[in-house]
Amino acid sequence: MIDELRSIQHQFGYLPADRLQELAAKIQDPLSQIHAVASFYPHFHLAPPAQVEVRVCADMSCHLRGAPALKHGLEQAFGAGGAEKVAVRNVSCLGRCDQAPALSINDQIYTNIDEQRTLGLVRDVLAGRELPAAQSSHKPLPVLSDPYNGSPNYSAVRQFVQTPDWSGVVATLKAAGLRGMGGAGFPTGSKWEIVRNAPGKEKYIVCNADESEPGTIKDRFIMENVPYLVIEGMIMAGLVTGARRGILYIRHEYHRPKEILQAEIDRCYRDGLLGPRILGSDLEFDLEIFVSPGGYICGEESALLEAIEGKRAEPRNKPPFPGTNGLWNQPTAINNVETFTFATVILSRGADWFKSQGTNGASGMKFVGISGDVNRPGVYEVPMGTKYSALIFEYAGGIPGGRQLLAYAPSGPSSGYLPASMADLPLDWNAVAAAGSMVGSGAIVVCAEGRCMLDMALNAVRFYRNESCGKCVPCRVGSQKLVEMLSGWTEGRSSTSDLPLLDELSHALKLTSICGLGQVVPVPILSVLKHFRAVVDDHRNHRRCAAGVCFSARGTA
Amino acid sequence: MSSRPAAEIQLTIDGRPISVPVGTTIFDAARVNGIPIPTLCHQQNENPVGVCRVCVVDIGQRVYAASCIRQCESGMTVKTATDQVHAARNTLVELLMSDHPAPCARQQQSGDCELERLAGAAGIKESRFPHRTTPRGKDDSSAVIAVDHEACILCDRCIRGCDDIRDNWVLARRGKGYQAGIAFDNNLPMSESSCVSCGECMVSCPTGALTNKRVVGTQLGEGDVLDPSELLGLPIFQKKRHFKAGEIVCREGEFGSTAFYILEGQAEVFLASPIAHVKTEGSSKGFFSKLQSLLAPREGDRRSEESDRPFIPIDASVDLPYDSPIAELNPGDMFGEMTCMSYYPRSATVRARTDCVMLEMLRNVLDILQRNKTFRAQLERNYRARALDSHLRSVPVFKSLTQDFIDHLRDRVELLRFNPGQVICRQGDPADSFYLVRIGFVKVSEQRPGGELVLAYLARGGYFGEIALLSGSPRSATCTALDHVEVVRIVGEDFQLMLDRFPEVRQKLEAIAQERIKENLRHTVQTQNVPVDQFLAQGLMEAQSLLVLDLEKCTRCDQCVRACADAHEGVSRLVREGLRFDKYLVATSCRQCRDPLCMVGCPVGSIRRRNTLEVIIEDWCIGCGLCATNCPYGNINLHPFPAELDDPSHPGQTIAGVRVKATSCDLCHDHAEPSCVYACPHDAAHRVNPPEFFAGMLAQPAPRTDGS
Repeated sequence: MIDELRSIQHQFGYLPADRLQELAAKIQDPLSQIHAVASFYPHFHLAPPAQVEVRVCADMSCHLRGAPALKHGLEQAFGAGGAEKVAVRNVSCLGRCDQAPALSINDQIYTNIDEQRTLGLVRDVLAGRELPAAQSSHKPLPVLSDPYNGSPNYSAVRQFVQTPDWSGVVATLKAAGLRGMGGAGFPTGSKWEIVRNAPGKEKYIVCNADESEPGTIKDRFIMENVPYLVIEGMIMAGLVTGARRGILYIRHEYHRPKEILQAEIDRCYRDGLLGPRILGSDLEFDLEIFVSPGGYICGEESALLEAIEGKRAEPRNKPPFPGTNGLWNQPTAINNVETFTFATVILSRGADWFKSQGTNGASGMKFVGISGDVNRPGVYEVPMGTKYSALIFEYAGGIPGGRQLLAYAPSGPSSGYLPASMADLPLDWNAVAAAGSMVGSGAIVVCAEGRCMLDMALNAVRFYRNESCGKCVPCRVGSQKLVEMLSGWTEGRSSTSDLPLLDELSHALKLTSICGLGQVVPVPILSVLKHFRAVVDDHRNHRRCAAGVCFSARGTA
Repeated sequence: MSSRPAAEIQLTIDGRPISVPVGTTIFDAARVNGIPIPTLCHQQNENPVGVCRVCVVDIGQRVYAASCIRQCESGMTVKTATDQVHAARNTLVELLMSDHPAPCARQQQSGDCELERLAGAAGIKESRFPHRTTPRGKDDSSAVIAVDHEACILCDRCIRGCDDIRDNWVLARRGKGYQAGIAFDNNLPMSESSCVSCGECMVSCPTGALTNKRVVGTQLGEGDVLDPSELLGLPIFQKKRHFKAGEIVCREGEFGSTAFYILEGQAEVFLASPIAHVKTEGSSKGFFSKLQSLLAPREGDRRSEESDRPFIPIDASVDLPYDSPIAELNPGDMFGEMTCMSYYPRSATVRARTDCVMLEMLRNVLDILQRNKTFRAQLERNYRARALDSHLRSVPVFKSLTQDFIDHLRDRVELLRFNPGQVICRQGDPADSFYLVRIGFVKVSEQRPGGELVLAYLARGGYFGEIALLSGSPRSATCTALDHVEVVRIVGEDFQLMLDRFPEVRQKLEAIAQERIKENLRHTVQTQNVPVDQFLAQGLMEAQSLLVLDLEKCTRCDQCVRACADAHEGVSRLVREGLRFDKYLVATSCRQCRDPLCMVGCPVGSIRRRNTLEVIIEDWCIGCGLCATNCPYGNINLHPFPAELDDPSHPGQTIAGVRVKATSCDLCHDHAEPSCVYACPHDAAHRVNPPEFFAGMLAQPAPRTDGS
């Protein structure tokens, strides 16, 4: 259904009601169900869009890098009278946190952009000129862990075809201690074993390349530079679990990584690495790419499966888990891009190599994205155990203008913010968890002194509110009420009952939400209350924002 | 016929050990054990979706579990009512209340908005969260149904009603997050959508988001017959049924899903089945020759402890006299409510006496009508005027009430309705009223060490609440609505007045209360005497009498099965397979259970238990087969008998046909011992009382090491 909707939108620029009716008759689905899906995804428009749709990324890194002022300026320029021709709105994280601020003009993404250049581009469209291509051509960057040094020969697959030892593969992954890199950290070897042992007439491998959490850009880097490691990881998962189909679920804003992956998949089919008889054996595995119709919630594994099934991407109640009841209710191994990548690395280089990579008592490697207030934002491949201070000041080149570090989020909004005093924490699952946060997907966002941490908390909570699917009450209503409460604090409205109420709301959100999104909604503000209480008190009791961000119309995005 | 009970798992809910079949949700496990969990999005007739989260419980994990959808797991420890759980639930209710236009349309019309009721129970008057600022709108386009999106809590009940129950697929969610709502087709006004106004969404809605526009207003004059089709304006309702004199409207035993409301004409309601029970008689040629199953009416075969009910309860506003089971229905009368609400078989046959006009309605329409104050008022008026007398008198102990006292009660009794699972009164609560069951089934259960004991299932004509009122003590048992239940409530004051004025009633009630208390005590003794873990695990503790085969002696010759078949017209009531326990095989034959599920749902209340524990099927059985379906052990059979039937093509004439009646193992009570036991050539078959029989074996102490 989603492909059908996409093609209608491609043809008309939106989804006209009569076309939806035709589609209902064609695919024999009720119109109500088609509308339910079409109205859920941000990628689909039910009404004709403006001639120029400008969408400014509103989230953490872009927020830190001038997105609010950029949007404000554009609104001023196109505000009165131009609304039907030019619409300026916010959009959730576009996955270009290292090139902030980013925006899209008619779905074409532009990064490191300012108001002047945007105005020029908008005028081009209004004048009927083609938009310039957003990016320069792609040249792969070397990746240290890459066992093939850029020339892949799929040795893990070749070896497995020679001697199909699935339990050996699982044992190697377990010995390496490989954990899910998407944020939850579930042991990969165990997951593959569960799927291998689960009864099911068909099994599936799904790669979650829907990274949409603010600050998370590592998967884009991996897919652009070592696409073959991801694909080989998926093939291996298929061979080990007995799955014969793989689906790589990628966000629609990742056009270039999709092209690169598709080229590599095509090459694998030509070389007999994918298809009915892999390298002449009786093993088979097919792999295709599914482009997400949009929304952060699609990164939640069960919501992602719902999206592939052509439904609203609403997370399922768990258990049962995807390992036994996944795509089309069949056993399904879902892993993150980086997890598949490291699975390939480990199967080529051995568990010992991977374990020996860590430092400060930790083991393994990790890709981290560093963005926000740093000189060299980007993706870095680092040994586990590296201190966050080293990541910020050495890898990412420190803070512009010689300012001091104020706070950092180890993994985007879901990890909350840690104060500068905790910058020497190592990149280690247990150590960061003990500090009340998490390594998560390694989306490090840095805030320099002079930032308002209440504003940053509001920004993060608002992201969750915007991205809530609305399925369950706590997240749908609770995230909105929390945004209203925090907005009040930044605008001079607060009440003595707010803090106890915030506690009660946080309790309900954490414990009763269906999925991880709802459960982490209060995390950003709780972390700021814990580490930056004075900032909150200043706002609430004295209507004062030391950073000069709040209490003004254009302060917040 | 060898259906076996599903495997059971053990868990703890609020500190109580509980055993349920695999696949049971926590919500259901708690409910059947008398632990109510609040919910907004869950209804028994819809698949759970777990979206309101109000039913969350603590299962000792990182996050709470939605009990409506989470299945019980072995060894699970569930806490349904900790302060933390209550706090989380109350926050959810308060969040919903902050956007709710209280009092919403439903609360105003019928006072049963489920959200506002929960908020009231939690003491939430004013939500501390700010009210929604972006309006969500109303849809007034439908002539019948008012849509108020402001009151919608997105529980998905209407969507499941429309899609899953009615298969109409008009309703779905639209949008995402805080902007999400419900939509008809592609978000059309209801009147322009493909909606057929079946009303299922309205019935399913817990709040005032979907309500009937004409539910309030209409006033009736005394004696008028209300035409609900005009009241509700539902297109689906416009189909009135016309019956010619003599035509059959519905037949007893048939499964149906509709209720009838008489607009014009008279109808008669009666039982077409011969009033007789199945009796086994031995012939003179010895037990291997054929024993005969016959139909024996009560006069011809008086059985011990015969029920002295003068009336047979049916699913209509009247009861049928035992001696002449026929009654008249008039305009304004309704029948088939239980069939309609709970899908029970028809309890009686209805035939048009004169030409009739009737409205036949589905559950959704009946439900809307029952929520309608005007319509309810009419039904209640009819009940009070026409049926209360016979209903009260149908209960043997009230036979002696005088007309003036019934008249006194007529306007004083309250008619109350309960939804499936709702607790009517709870063990330990102070007693203030006496209840008489009018519609549906009520489970009477008691909390005992080791779990819940079902004391009785009460059907129409059953009553409860007298023990506590007589003794002035708190409620001795918990009474729960099993399905859609309506009861007549007599307040304590009137009950006392009745006792004072009619010493005979007091005497009888006291005698029965004594009997009930004694019976309960006996159960308690039994439960406590036996070490029961393994026993419970196989459901055998439920049994009161088992046929066990000693497998060390049994040669599998099947003489027992043949003897049973011979004794019962060639249909064996026993199957030589079943659960194994130690060296014994528990054969598939009536176990005379402690919690006889077979008794739930009998539309005419003809299956009951004698004080000897034998489960007996009374002679007004109409052969619908529900008890056979309900028996989890496959131990009830249906026997065909030749009978005269109404000729469907020639009203008023009869043709020869076959009727069935249910039988369960009767322990061959006319013989010295059951035929199966008698027939066993190897002394391997025994009829036993399981607690006594297995007690010795189970209670054997562990071998001692000191040799003494």
